[in-house]
Amino acid sequence: MGIRKARMKKYISRIILYVLVVLIVVWTLAPFTWLFISGLFPYKELISDRTTSWFPENPTLKNFQAMFDMSSHIGQRFMAALRNSLIISGSVTIICLIFGTLAAYALARLKFPFKNNIVMSLISIRMIPTVALVIPFFIIIRTFDYYLIQANSNFHFYDTKINLIILYVTFILGFVIWIMRGFFLTIPTELEEAARIDGCTRTQALIKIVLPLSAPGLVATGIFTFLLAWDEFVLAMVFTKTTNSITIPVYIAALGSQYIHAFDQIAASGFVASLPPIILALIFQKFLIKGLTAGSTKG
Amino acid sequence: MSIRRQELSSKQLALILLLPSILIILCVVIGPLVFAFYLSFFKAEPIIGGISTKFIGISNYIYYFLKDPLFWSAVRVTTYFTVVSLVIELILGISMALVLNKSFIGRSFVRSIILLPWALPTVVNARMWEWIYAGSSFGALNGLMKVLHIFPADYDKVWLGFDVPLQNIPLIGNFMEWVGASTALNMIILADTWKVTPLVTLLVLAALQTFPDSLYEAAGIDGASSWSQFWNITLPLLRPVLLVVLVLRTMELFRVFDIIYILMQYSIRVVGVYTFETGMKFLNFGRGSALSFLVGLFILGIALIYVRVLYSEET
Repeated sequence: MGIRKARMKKYISRIILYVLVVLIVVWTLAPFTWLFISGLFPYKELISDRTTSWFPENPTLKNFQAMFDMSSHIGQRFMAALRNSLIISGSVTIICLIFGTLAAYALARLKFPFKNNIVMSLISIRMIPTVALVIPFFIIIRTFDYYLIQANSNFHFYDTKINLIILYVTFILGFVIWIMRGFFLTIPTELEEAARIDGCTRTQALIKIVLPLSAPGLVATGIFTFLLAWDEFVLAMVFTKTTNSITIPVYIAALGSQYIHAFDQIAASGFVASLPPIILALIFQKFLIKGLTAGSTKG
Repeated sequence: MSIRRQELSSKQLALILLLPSILIILCVVIGPLVFAFYLSFFKAEPIIGGISTKFIGISNYIYYFLKDPLFWSAVRVTTYFTVVSLVIELILGISMALVLNKSFIGRSFVRSIILLPWALPTVVNARMWEWIYAGSSFGALNGLMKVLHIFPADYDKVWLGFDVPLQNIPLIGNFMEWVGASTALNMIILADTWKVTPLVTLLVLAALQTFPDSLYEAAGIDGASSWSQFWNITLPLLRPVLLVVLVLRTMELFRVFDIIYILMQYSIRVVGVYTFETGMKFLNFGRGSALSFLVGLFILGIALIYVRVLYSEET
């Protein structure tokens, strides 16, 4: 009797476990799946009663095609935003990785004065809200541009990709240094010391020993940087205007306003815009989880 | 002699490696910050080719602390947003991590898809939930409520509306109204929680996996119930990671801007939105800077706690 009861209890707890797992999966996937399905609706069906219409009767790829159709206004804007976002996020990632890795190595390995102060201020800088930086940025860039125009210069900052790249690099760089330092600290110093006894210089040891070992860290940090840059909204909203520099978040935010909501376009472009970060995150998830843990818990 | 040369080169190398990063950060972050601090003592307005400034001392700060009711209501609503989000994120995050730590078929699949909400861009997340919350018969949440017979067939709720839930209950209703906890704000909390909880789950899960099984086996032999195992073993061991999550999330939640601005523009004034409105909509640069500085100081305070926590966990 006792054994049967214990078996029964185990059986029930398995069922509860699977119910909970299913709930987690549904909770995680349902909203995004609905976004994708909504993209397949023709507009007329999209704006109909949800109690009966959860799937499109006449599914269409029109909404997705429109975004890549360069002859239409929607297509031109979306493709420009996609291109700008890729260029900006890509450049920011490369620049941050180069400078950030060097600085992180110095902070993890070398002895020099004020080291702890620098580490501390880096973390604090990462915490400054972008909204707090928008006002000084706006005034400075506006003034620069005024004098550049006065001097008949072709170059100006407002509404350019370079401007956003510079701004993004600064607020992400501290974060990159912080995470990479965490990774470097996990690599035993003995390996480097052995290499240096064998006659390597510090730079050689960095390139030949430390960098290959920290490749997973570099990948994770690179993806974080890319995601942060891809996601940024405040600065992009303030400092971009035309297809010259608008990014994906600005494009999608502009699709809805208080009065107009193009939900068919929002669904389709929202889905496509999420694909690069989601694919990156899913492919490199092992690295990312390691990076998340190292970045937030390792001092 | 050789040791001294070694030390010198270590310092020099550090300087070379750090210089580019420090220069970038000094010019583009510290510089503007100092400038904003300076501006916060002025009445500053835009003119052609720059700004006009008039020194007014600490009037901007006095204004916010003593004269401006909107400032304190922004503090209240931001605090509500932060605290409620944190509580839900922690409870949901820990529960999900506990479930995913058990062995079941398809575990690695479930663990990978859990990252999806976290990777979704904030703007897409905002617009996606706005579409789900659509306050008419084509909104998915309204449809769901009707299918489940929670709502009558002819009723559509305006999810992003300004009515205050629990309004009719005395005290609680008054409190909700006082903090400005409208239905819209609560639904935004839900949307934001959906996106961020995976992060909490993954951090807790990573910590759970480092716990030795022997601990639980011993407790099992002693006849401890799963609830007391969780309360007496798991939770104390999770303390370090929970502290980190707590402080990190508090900072991020308190500076919330994107999702609220995208969905509600200026109608829910959390401090981030209020700062932006003052500085960038009304172009009141002095006051906006003062407000940024107050927010910045608060977040810096939490950041210092964070650093303290990290260093104390290390030693």
